[in-house]
Amino acid sequence: MKNRRLAAALVAGVSLPALAACTDNSSSSSDATDGRTIAVTSSSDACDLSSDTAPSGRLVFTIKNTGQEVTEFYLYAADGKRIVAEVENIGPGLSRTLVVNADAATYVPACKPGMKGTGIRSELTVTESGGSGKASAAVQEQVDQANAAYREYVEDESGQLLAGTRRFVAAYTSGDDARARTLYPTVRVHWERIEPVAESFGDLDPKMDAREADLEAGQKWTGWHRIEKDLWPPSDQPYTALTKAERATYADQLLADTETLHGRIGKLTFTVDQIGNGAKSLLDEVATGKVTGEEEIWSHTDLYDFQANIDGARVAFEGLRPVLKQKDPALESEIADRFTALESMLAQYRVGADGFVSYEKLDTTQVKQLSDAVNALSEPLSKLTAAVTL
Amino acid sequence: MLANYLIGLREGLEATLVVVILVAYLVKSDRRELLPRVWGGVALAVAVSLAFGALLTFGPRGLSFEAQETIGGVLSIVAVGFVTWMVMWMARSARSLSGDLKGRVDVAAAAGGASLVLVAMLAVGREGLETALFLWAATQAAAGTGGSTAGPLLGAALGLGTAVLLGYLFYRGAVKINLAKFFTWTGAILILVAAGVLGYGLHDLQEARVLPGLDSLAFDVSNVIAPGSWIGTILKGTLNFSPATTWLQAVAWVLYVGVTMTLFFRQIRRNNRPSTAPTAPARTPAGSPS
Repeated sequence: MKNRRLAAALVAGVSLPALAACTDNSSSSSDATDGRTIAVTSSSDACDLSSDTAPSGRLVFTIKNTGQEVTEFYLYAADGKRIVAEVENIGPGLSRTLVVNADAATYVPACKPGMKGTGIRSELTVTESGGSGKASAAVQEQVDQANAAYREYVEDESGQLLAGTRRFVAAYTSGDDARARTLYPTVRVHWERIEPVAESFGDLDPKMDAREADLEAGQKWTGWHRIEKDLWPPSDQPYTALTKAERATYADQLLADTETLHGRIGKLTFTVDQIGNGAKSLLDEVATGKVTGEEEIWSHTDLYDFQANIDGARVAFEGLRPVLKQKDPALESEIADRFTALESMLAQYRVGADGFVSYEKLDTTQVKQLSDAVNALSEPLSKLTAAVTL
Repeated sequence: MLANYLIGLREGLEATLVVVILVAYLVKSDRRELLPRVWGGVALAVAVSLAFGALLTFGPRGLSFEAQETIGGVLSIVAVGFVTWMVMWMARSARSLSGDLKGRVDVAAAAGGASLVLVAMLAVGREGLETALFLWAATQAAAGTGGSTAGPLLGAALGLGTAVLLGYLFYRGAVKINLAKFFTWTGAILILVAAGVLGYGLHDLQEARVLPGLDSLAFDVSNVIAPGSWIGTILKGTLNFSPATTWLQAVAWVLYVGVTMTLFFRQIRRNNRPSTAPTAPARTPAGSPS
């Protein structure tokens, strides 16, 4: 009797303070939504963090040991000595998580493969995110919805891109150039709508969407724009049309890359800051490529891409809109107005149901107008991420 | 594989050594009826650790670093207290055993019975949570979350298995030696183990910043005795030797070993002296902080 009571008291004595000191686990949805999860890869000679910045509040480090020795992960204060948090016993092939409540400051993360020495160190900047950084339940629900909706959108667009690419590639390889030229801008719309996501795969984007002018020395030119040039061969410079075999090579590669992309996109999840930053980078795409007519230099179908980039940004914005409405209603209505202004301006150049005039038809005044409208939207949109994650 | 094996071995040795000595002691002193209490304590500690570890790994909430270190640290220091008590208890009852005071032994055993559960629980449980978290991480890897390799889990399991095997062999060896030697040796070993656990617990508390002085190292021989090596594993698993030791750890270790060893051997000497007086006076010095 006595020992059972003692044992029970000990169990309670250990577990109660422990439970009181609990923190939310990485599996909770809020971590994925606001960039609070940092993936750490500890190998024998490197310690890579998925991000060198994070918002203050609760952070979750997931440390994966890809090396051969047992490793440890430490988060030191800026002085590099005071341990803020650590996790030990990360055997080869294992992943452990570490939950930290971090104030805004500079930290020194370190991996210690072999469990000795001062570790492989880097720097992590934690910025003020307003208190604990925890969203209220209502806002959290909106955030979750926004993430899920955006994910669905991206997957849907990627699916349409794949289906469209199949049709396009079939027309192109069979020599049906007229049909390929019609399909080209409408299929690319699906690419342009999710361009920042596609670009996040650094290996695929250069193979699929490189422009001739942007090629680096030694880079083989493949993808959409290579085929574009073949479909709209330049009249002012010598150009040798691709042979049937060459066409097949480029077409097969494009299709294979699109399949890879679609497969990878199926595994993605999104966070509010990714969505917000994605909207902004779509606008940047417009400003640097489409408004200038550089993107589709042979086909001059830039306005399709223009509209598609705006579509993608709009979807991202609409998803975050309920959150933004609560946090910064003034910014919310400003962005909405600028979107409408830009879209109605672009609508002047529509032809038929979903077509646009050739970029060549625009005069410099019109380009300037569009460019100004893009900048007018881009400016408030750049505040979107900060506003919703605060 | 090897690295994960060594973690399993180390954590396993940390848990088994004290339990093995306790079991050997009860068997040698012919008190097998108390064994279920020890196994009960071990089972309880394993169950609580695994359940708590699973809850923290797969449940909605994790444990903050400070909390985990504080649990490990406080439990270790409490464990030292109980192991010290156990050593002295063993030393005193060795005297009774050598005499013909069987009745007194049973009285002591009754009082000690409850504590036996706690000693066994603490020996296994103090690092049980960390071990459980490690094992669940290996299980996650084997189950395919982000990895999908059974290697780490297998390695860890083999390591724990080896620790149990070594513990068993140690037990077989220990029960063979004669009673007087047994008490002297196991007592001395336990004191060294407890001193290591004390240092370990203090280091945990230093890491959690409950205690200062984490950066004041007394010595750092990590380059000679790598923590991930065989020798580092065995030294850590048995004596809790840490290649990089802080001054606080070192001083606490020396003080603890100095004081406890002195008390222990004084008791042993007393035991070996032919006993003419009743047991009462013999007990006093061990209990008093001389």
